[in-house]
Amino acid sequence: MAQQDVKPTRSELINLKKKIKLSESGHKLLKMKRDGLILEFFKILNEARNVRTELDAAFAKSTEKINLASAVNGMVAVRSTAFTAKESPEIQLSGHNIMGVVVPKISSTGVRKSLYERGYGIIGTNSYIDETADAYEDLVEKIITAAELETTMKRLLDEIEKTKRRVNALEFKVIPELIATMKFIRFALEEMERENTFRLKRVKARMRD
Amino acid sequence: MELAVIGKSEFVTGFRLAGISKVYETTDIKATESVIKSVLEDRSVGILVMHNDDISNLPELLRKNLNESVQPTVVALGGSGAGSNLRDKIKQAVGVDLWK
Repeated sequence: MAQQDVKPTRSELINLKKKIKLSESGHKLLKMKRDGLILEFFKILNEARNVRTELDAAFAKSTEKINLASAVNGMVAVRSTAFTAKESPEIQLSGHNIMGVVVPKISSTGVRKSLYERGYGIIGTNSYIDETADAYEDLVEKIITAAELETTMKRLLDEIEKTKRRVNALEFKVIPELIATMKFIRFALEEMERENTFRLKRVKARMRD
Repeated sequence: MELAVIGKSEFVTGFRLAGISKVYETTDIKATESVIKSVLEDRSVGILVMHNDDISNLPELLRKNLNESVQPTVVALGGSGAGSNLRDKIKQAVGVDLWK
């Protein structure tokens, strides 16, 4: 609020005081929300880091397995076996609330399959392909866990950033400007009071003369 | 909802073996871009899996869209900077690099 736009009146001063009080309580609440979100973020940070490490290890293992299967059976055989696979894994998304931020909870069905459910023939394939399928099923499970945690982290981080920006705007822009305007109105009112007293004294002096 | 995988033949074959049906094999960056755009609009896809090298070859804007996308959530595998987009986000939001 620019100071020159404000009329230095008592009602304006009362309104400003109310606004400052409201802004200060909002600032306090937002600060508490930011701290709470950061605490929640710290709770899942370690878990997310561990899952990422496990995911990288699972990916390296799966790549090794598929390379081995390709070396033994040939890439064409592995690819043709892959095309016969049926029953796609399904994921279900549900949300839960962390301090006003809706984060997903992902559950899955049909990721782990038995040898007979995979869809390819047992006679035409060997254990290398089975191990590869096993490794990739494990990888898919890890991907689902990582996706849940990483989405939660992304949403929390977005909210933390937003809240931080609001807290800073209130702390360094809105509240200081309101206080400056309040001071300006107080000075103006005091000045008017002094002028009035002086005027009254002059009138009194003239009347005496 | 389903998982989708986009990438080169050697990257996607294993996922096909695990039973994932939405597997998109691409050979060049142009094809990858158009497939990504269609997958991002597909509401039945919950998680999108890609290789980190493929993501880093994408144009800046599309890469930003992928990094910020929540549905589908993009999981990058392999390469050197698999968790780098999260690391950048943490640095930006918290101010400290906690992803060490």
